[in-house]
Amino acid sequence: MSRSEVLVDADWVQDHLGDPGVVLVEVDEDTTAYDKGHIKGAVKLDWRKDLQDPVRRDFVDKTGFERLLSERGISNDDTVILYGGNNNWFAAYAYWYLRIYGHGNVKLLDGGRKKWELDSRDMVTDVPSRPATFYRAEEQDRSIRAFRDDVIAAIGNLNLVDVRSPDEFAGRLLAPAHLPQEQAQRGGHVPTAKNVPWSKAAEEDGTFKSDQALAELYRDEAGLDFGKDTIAYCRIGERSAHTWFVLHELLGQPNVKNYDGSWTEYGSLVGVPIELGDGK
Amino acid sequence: MSTSGSGCGAPAGGIKVTAGAGDQAVVQGHVTSSGTAVPSGYARLLNADGEFVAEVPLGEDGGFTFYAAPGDWTLRVLAPGGVRAERAVSASTGTITELEVTV
Repeated sequence: MSRSEVLVDADWVQDHLGDPGVVLVEVDEDTTAYDKGHIKGAVKLDWRKDLQDPVRRDFVDKTGFERLLSERGISNDDTVILYGGNNNWFAAYAYWYLRIYGHGNVKLLDGGRKKWELDSRDMVTDVPSRPATFYRAEEQDRSIRAFRDDVIAAIGNLNLVDVRSPDEFAGRLLAPAHLPQEQAQRGGHVPTAKNVPWSKAAEEDGTFKSDQALAELYRDEAGLDFGKDTIAYCRIGERSAHTWFVLHELLGQPNVKNYDGSWTEYGSLVGVPIELGDGK
Repeated sequence: MSTSGSGCGAPAGGIKVTAGAGDQAVVQGHVTSSGTAVPSGYARLLNADGEFVAEVPLGEDGGFTFYAAPGDWTLRVLAPGGVRAERAVSASTGTITELEVTV
């Protein structure tokens, strides 16, 4: 997979605003950012309300996903350009999610909302009206999603990449430092996991580093065995969707799964092994 | 205070501390330019090794809030127009450390 098939830059988006067949989608957990201003023509997806089942901890099902995309006016053959805040975490999660449900043409805006804002590019508050479509999803592609038993089986066998900050990895923090620290789970990491914080894959403006820098980061510095399958995790699966995007889509690693249960699930399981301390 | 079940996202300005620091090591403050709040930009928290730890978009009042661990941190501000600023800050448990940044 080449970079141009999965990523567009801000100039490309600027040049294709309003193109038929191109749908911009802003994805966030806090959608007040969209309400204050977004890229012209962009529709919004709410990471929690739209993409998570309201009762069980899981995705919305296939029917719910079809209803969602139909209602947002997205067709099966549209090119979907995703972007969002938090350095594109939630946009990368939505990218992974659209791939799971088989959407063909989906790309990320490199740098997301932050790069767009730091470039002082135009934002609008008008909400576009798109006619409803008749979207049809595929059955979920489980080859890119890991569950807890996959993670336990991977200990000592496959690449496990913990993409949280070093302090979360070590067990000193239980959530990113912009959130109140919680007490529900045990701190630490899955034994044998390498700590490669998601942020190491991104420049300060939120854009991804070059393919060469990324390959050096994961293979040479972190010591991932590119001949083995990989599972990425974080706290709830959106930061690790960012790393999944890097490994699977930018670097073309064939078998990479995102474990969206992540530390809030693993760190609450009874009887599983946990390791404490800093990465090696 | 628990955020279990919710996401990891950073709302603009961060999650405000309403009733004291409790057992948290809070770092919060505002970014201003010539006495005016800078509402468009980002605050990044770096650890003692200079590694990125967290980031929030600035609030309407230029505000930011972090829940750090005790220790020494660097706060870096990025804003449109290539604006950058950095401040060193120490956090400790049960304390709200206030930081006013001018750019």
